[in-house]
Amino acid sequence: MDWGKVKFFLGEVLRNFTRNASMQATAIGTVAITIVILGVFLFVRGELAGVGTQLLDQIEISAYFAPNATAAQIDSVRHAVAADPRVASVAFVPKKQGLSELRVRTKDAIDTSTLTENPLPDKIRVRVRLPDQVPAVAASIGRLKTVDNVVYGQTIVQRLLQLGDVMRRVGIAVIAIFLFVAGIIISNTIRLTVYARRREIAIMQLVGATNTYIRMPFICEGLLDGVIGALLAVAVLWVARATLWPRMLEALPWIGFGSTPIDLGAIVAELFLVGAAIGIVASWISVGRHLRT
Amino acid sequence: MISLRGVSLVYPNGVHALDNVTLEIAKGDFVFLVGHSGTGKSSLMKLLYREARPSSGEIVVDGIRVDRLKSSRVPALRRHLGVVFQDFKLLSDKTVWENVAFAMQVTGAHTRDVMRQVPRVLDLVGLSHKSRMYPNELSGGEQQRTAIARALVNNPKILLCDEPSGNLDPSNTTEIMELLLRINLKGTTVVVATHNQAVVDRMRRRVVRLEDGRIVTDEERGYYYLGLGQGQVLSG
Repeated sequence: MDWGKVKFFLGEVLRNFTRNASMQATAIGTVAITIVILGVFLFVRGELAGVGTQLLDQIEISAYFAPNATAAQIDSVRHAVAADPRVASVAFVPKKQGLSELRVRTKDAIDTSTLTENPLPDKIRVRVRLPDQVPAVAASIGRLKTVDNVVYGQTIVQRLLQLGDVMRRVGIAVIAIFLFVAGIIISNTIRLTVYARRREIAIMQLVGATNTYIRMPFICEGLLDGVIGALLAVAVLWVARATLWPRMLEALPWIGFGSTPIDLGAIVAELFLVGAAIGIVASWISVGRHLRT
Repeated sequence: MISLRGVSLVYPNGVHALDNVTLEIAKGDFVFLVGHSGTGKSSLMKLLYREARPSSGEIVVDGIRVDRLKSSRVPALRRHLGVVFQDFKLLSDKTVWENVAFAMQVTGAHTRDVMRQVPRVLDLVGLSHKSRMYPNELSGGEQQRTAIARALVNNPKILLCDEPSGNLDPSNTTEIMELLLRINLKGTTVVVATHNQAVVDRMRRRVVRLEDGRIVTDEERGYYYLGLGQGQVLSG
């Protein structure tokens, strides 16, 4: 290992980096802001997805049998539904049990003792593996003979599925725009340092330095902008989570309730990767323009 | 060592910088390229280190076909050449030592070689005692000697000097020319573009004269003006 080389190289990077401190700060700031927004977005999306999944997980399909359905017919429907690979579980609820469940749910607010006969039909309760398959499964159960009526939270399921879809699209658009802006600002910063060092670049080219070699310090500079920006952003997000999150949970108890915890480590890693990537790409582009011979 | 055959250079704006130039420079030669400014001296130099490409013709430098050289091979060519300019092109925030070492470091030289080679060339140009100074603390002549040291540090076979004395007073000019001569005596081929008549007439080396992009005279042990000695001036 030639430490002299390493020292020289790091010296060049540091010299670049400190030469244009205010511009460097602007670039780092923009990256930080972009990544904070990105981080909040990923976090909120994760939470909402958690809530959504949790709600969707509770969705079950109730299929009611016609009052004249025989036990054999009911059995064949149960088996047919259970055989569907999209179905997680099927439970038969005879009308007697349905009535007692109704009593429990309504906490005897309705006086069922006055009923002379059970008005409820027999039903099966079906759980589906993936939430977005609920409508399709419900429709196919509805087509089976002796099934009178199929009920699931139609509107809520559809809205949640739509919400998830919209969130994904808007999210990708927002992130793309911010990354683009951050990339432009880093690229301009590097262009300024390239301009400030045009004499050095000319001399390097004159004495036979390769373009790759000339590029390296600038790429490192962009990388530093990106990574330092990401570091700042992660620090800000961390503080925000520690101070604001508990209060939000108090105010909106449904947010975090029981949902699967988000993998913060993965988000942090993602944010750093994004910072480094914009830094490298932006500086690569802006140095390249100066190196054409 | 250097060979140009039928070389023409037309700039994109239509200016004919060089017109059908043919020139041979042997290994170990010391050649002055003379002529008024704008006659193509610098253009010819630029063709040699591939800062410009000829519109037509063939250029060979140290066995490399420069006119056909791919961009990616340009660094390799330039490591065989040392180039010195009128404006020195030193980095003001680096010391003499760092400026010279820079040329080796950016071509990926091993630190051990840098430590051995830089003192050697600084000694050659007589700047060992000023290696820690910055360019703006040096005289013009010392700055140019630093630039020459940088051009020599990679052991080039050819040293190209474009108006090396353009910014120097007469005594510094003499100093630089003597240094170039010493370098030439060690076997390096030296090409000097200049319009300094006194220098050319005193040194009495090969003189190639350009006019309007053509070679008009080429004399061994020549004068700045054809057949005229020092102190004589053309009338008109």
